[in-house]
Amino acid sequence: MEPTTGSPPPTPAPEPDFAAFDLLIDALGRWAPAGPAWPPARRVKSEWEGVAPRLDKARLELSRVLVVGVVGGTGTGKSTLVNALAGSEVTTAGDVARPTTINPVVVAARDVDVSWLPLDAMQARLVRSDSPAVANIVLVDCPDPDTQAVVETPPAAASKPSATNRNRDLLEAVLPACDVLLLVSTAQKYRSWIVAREVAAFAPGRPLLFVQTHASRDPDIRGDWRMELESQGFDVPRIFRIDGVEAAARAAAGLEPEAGFRELVAAIDGELAGRAARRVRRTGALDLAAWFTRQARGDLAASGEPVAALAAGVETERGRLEAILARSIGETLRANRSAWQRLIADDVVARWQGGPFASFLHVIAALGSFWNRVRPGTGVVGRLLAGQSVSGAGAARDGGWKAVEELGLPAGEVEQSRSVLAGLAARAGIQEPLVGRARLDDAAAATATAALVDRAGAWLSAGIDRLVVERRGRVGRPAIHWLFEGLFSALLVTVLVRAGWNFFHGNLWEGRPVSGIGFLEEAIVWVILWGLLLRWLVFALVRLGLDRDIQGLVGSVASSRLVDPLLADFSSAASAVSTWIDEGTRLGAEGDRLAAACGETPGLGRLRRPAT
Amino acid sequence: MVSSGQPAAPSFAAWAGSVAELCDAVDRLTPVAAALGVADGSTAAWHGALYGKLRPQVSREPLLVAAVCGGTNTGKSLITNSLVGSGISRSTPEAARTLHPVASLARGVAARTDLAALFPGFRPVAWRGEADAVDAAAADVLVWREDPGGAQPEKLVVLDTPDIDGTLRENWHRAELVRNAADVIVAVLTQQKYNDAAVRDFFAAAAAAGKTVIVVFNMVDWPRQRERIAGWLATFATETGVAAAAVYAGPHDFDAAEAGRIALIPLPELTPGGAEVSLAERLATCDFDRIKRQAMAGAMRVVADPTQGLAAWLDAIDRSAAGWRDAQRLLEREGRVQVELPAPPREIVWDEVWTWLEPRRSAIDLVVSGGYRTVGQGMSWAARRLGIGRTAAERKEDFAATELEALKRALADFIDRLDDACRRDERLGRLLGPRLATADRQAWYADLERRHEALPLVSDDYRTFVRTELDRFAAANPGMVKAVLTGLTVGSVVRPVMTLALFSAGAAAVPAAAGVLHHVLDFGVTVAAPLAGEGAVAAASQGIRPLIERLFAGWSAERGRILAETLHDVVLGDGVEEIGRLAASGSRPELVRARQLLVECSRECG
Repeated sequence: MEPTTGSPPPTPAPEPDFAAFDLLIDALGRWAPAGPAWPPARRVKSEWEGVAPRLDKARLELSRVLVVGVVGGTGTGKSTLVNALAGSEVTTAGDVARPTTINPVVVAARDVDVSWLPLDAMQARLVRSDSPAVANIVLVDCPDPDTQAVVETPPAAASKPSATNRNRDLLEAVLPACDVLLLVSTAQKYRSWIVAREVAAFAPGRPLLFVQTHASRDPDIRGDWRMELESQGFDVPRIFRIDGVEAAARAAAGLEPEAGFRELVAAIDGELAGRAARRVRRTGALDLAAWFTRQARGDLAASGEPVAALAAGVETERGRLEAILARSIGETLRANRSAWQRLIADDVVARWQGGPFASFLHVIAALGSFWNRVRPGTGVVGRLLAGQSVSGAGAARDGGWKAVEELGLPAGEVEQSRSVLAGLAARAGIQEPLVGRARLDDAAAATATAALVDRAGAWLSAGIDRLVVERRGRVGRPAIHWLFEGLFSALLVTVLVRAGWNFFHGNLWEGRPVSGIGFLEEAIVWVILWGLLLRWLVFALVRLGLDRDIQGLVGSVASSRLVDPLLADFSSAASAVSTWIDEGTRLGAEGDRLAAACGETPGLGRLRRPAT
Repeated sequence: MVSSGQPAAPSFAAWAGSVAELCDAVDRLTPVAAALGVADGSTAAWHGALYGKLRPQVSREPLLVAAVCGGTNTGKSLITNSLVGSGISRSTPEAARTLHPVASLARGVAARTDLAALFPGFRPVAWRGEADAVDAAAADVLVWREDPGGAQPEKLVVLDTPDIDGTLRENWHRAELVRNAADVIVAVLTQQKYNDAAVRDFFAAAAAAGKTVIVVFNMVDWPRQRERIAGWLATFATETGVAAAAVYAGPHDFDAAEAGRIALIPLPELTPGGAEVSLAERLATCDFDRIKRQAMAGAMRVVADPTQGLAAWLDAIDRSAAGWRDAQRLLEREGRVQVELPAPPREIVWDEVWTWLEPRRSAIDLVVSGGYRTVGQGMSWAARRLGIGRTAAERKEDFAATELEALKRALADFIDRLDDACRRDERLGRLLGPRLATADRQAWYADLERRHEALPLVSDDYRTFVRTELDRFAAANPGMVKAVLTGLTVGSVVRPVMTLALFSAGAAAVPAAAGVLHHVLDFGVTVAAPLAGEGAVAAASQGIRPLIERLFAGWSAERGRILAETLHDVVLGDGVEEIGRLAASGSRPELVRARQLLVECSRECG
């Protein structure tokens, strides 16, 4: 911020918010090169590489004098105007041959240090001048853009003098050094296509002055030129109209300059010299930054929809694969009824100690364990239900897919999803290496499937444990235990009471003969049958509502992000790209806000919009 | 050759015919070239000369077309008005205001001349007023007026044209169309513009096409700059190859211009022959026939130019077609996937064979094999009860699921390969890339699922195929029916490996299955079906092996066909046929004919 001491500036305008501007440049400097390996991001990066040095320069060289490039078509009087401003013939002007100026001429006051100007690269000649008009600026008489062939000269025509004309190339080497453009034109040339093209390429971030020359010969075309410039996207506060020949003659004769020329000199003095230079430089830099963000947003605008479509596609495909997985796991869980029974009931039985029914169950369980050895669990789910652990590393040894297919997710379905996503990614311009191919290569497949099996193992075993604990708690309650013990004991007691009644009442009291152990044999069969019925009841209790609980378990598959590892490249690419685009949009809005808040430079033109 | 009263060129009629035929050939080749990605010929100089000059003028009443051309705001309209003697085209201080060419014709010309054909690219409209030329609402019109004074020579057409260097590029294009049709160009130059690249290019093309160029240096600071003009003209002549037929100077006079007046001073010292005649008079009295012949021959030279002319365009078509042949070969190599189908449930084939065998078997055979069958059924029932066996329906369901998955994997692989091919060959990328990138791929897989769902495990086609094969086998090997029976009980199964390839329709390896295999245009389905349980079959009989293999191969090929159909119908669409067509377009007869005609035309033209 400039101190507010001394006399106020002649054109009070709000100062640009320099601190916010510096923050914006820093943020852009972090954002632009950090894009993902994605063609639009690469374009933005390379555009930034063109813009960044200029922005840096604007910040570092705030206090240097402005370099004003005089540009325009051949014959429009650039050199004549430079001579008039310099007050003497510093560069050749005339009508002998076109083009007249080939090597640029740099005009500077004697006390101005121009060692920082790359005169060699510009192939320029330095001339010192004492004229007050150039006391506080550096003036460059630029080569014309319109005499060099637009398309490369064919070898057959290489003998023509114009084949060696490199004026436009030279101009393009000079313009980067200029801070301000002084666009000179005439009635014949103000609608020149090639001049418009060159100026448009260098105008972003460079304020402009517009000058119609040949005032004494040509009609005043400023109204029409203004319309033309505005259609090219320029803000045109004013256009000067001068006659360079006359001005140079007057300057040489020591006469007072005529009005148009006086206004131009005054504008240079007021808008470009001294403290105004600082403002021009900052405004130019801000314009350049805003221009860059606008270009970048234009570049990225078309990508927003396809990237969003990719992100949505990842969700859809994830959902599809999860549904396949959930259906298949649910079926397997339900089909392994006996495994559930064992898992829950065995534990319940193990905890029921004491009592005849518990003893009965233990005996049956001991017999059943032989059968379990004969048929261990198969598949990932079967192994989990059989109480074995499942690890992705183990699965990866089998090439990865086997374990995943055991879980019920065929490789073909995964490849279908990846192929669909590859199409969506291609539409968004996202390709390898950001995303892989439809068919995962062996290494990627091993990693992804191992991760999937790990996640599935963890999720399933946690889910199964939860379910089992909950059921064990319900069925294994002491009340239930004692209820079954009671029911079982009831038959035992009945048998014993009946045996006692037969002996004491029938035999001893009524004297009937003892019926032998035949009754007890019969009774044992009934007890065993009763015990088995009760055991079945226990299992029925265990199974009651199991299907619903399994449904609930597989319903949580979405929250467990099981299939994420298979689509990870697509989802991370989509999120990386959209995050980056969002950040760009935010910075662009900030750039627009700053540019809008920044004061106008009343007398200078600016390129604000792309051509209509 | 241009005048009916001058039978100087006996081959003229033949030449006119050749030119017309050449244009027809080029017309037919134009869509081919566009499809091949060859640069648009319509912007090339030869195209302008052929369609703008030769075709419209070779067989019409010879009119001498003189066009006033130059950069923005150099005074073209003013000069035109002075040439035709009255205000025909508005002259304004603003630049680039003339948007449409304005033609002044002699009386009666409009009635007997098809102006639309004479000036291709324009819609001729009758002149209403000076403002016609600057009417921004009209597009691609050519305004014409018949000379009200009656002084204009009968065969002369004078045109004002839009600019050739302004920001409105349509103006350039319109000026080029007029230039192509013109015989005489009045080049309006100024000291600011005579060496501008856009100006040079425009007039260099006119010089190359044999046009007669009259140079007017306008807005000259007269007489101060009179001495400069020779130097300017020399630069202009060197740069453009223009040999000016006459040179005039238009002194800068702002007030006169405002009033619509301009004086053109002849510069005899720069004019060949040194004659000091006014521009209007020169145009009226010049040797029409010579100039016309020269312009026609010049146009032919442009067309026949070996490096920039029509031949170069034809070469580009050849080169591009060759590029497409390479692309096709790349697809041939890369567009090839192997589908590993699961082993089919064996009853799929065997049941058909069984049905065929039934009436041909002895009672003992029937009892024996019936016994096998019963035992087998009993065993599989037991296995199912134990939970280790599957029912036939379940097995078919399992097979269908596994098969669909294999087909999906193959489809994904194929798409991957296409993506790759598109990245490696930019032609393929242009043709198939957008399709691959923008299509709804889910719909592709849905289509495959639908086709798979609709295909019965055993189709009627396949039943017919099996019966035909077995009939043929039985006819050739009467004693082998028994062996077939053995084969049945052994129950061999094959695990087919199928290859699906683009552009290899001729190489199908299952000729016997032709009844089943409909080649899907450019796809070939090849099946190798090695027999499992080979030992047993070999023990039974060597002769039966190829039969069994063929039966399985035919069945598999039918399965694979749905993938080929999906690939063809929804993934690639007509893209593959298009590639085939483009690759073949290098050998089109029009190409050869166009070259012949080009040679003929240039020879006839001399």
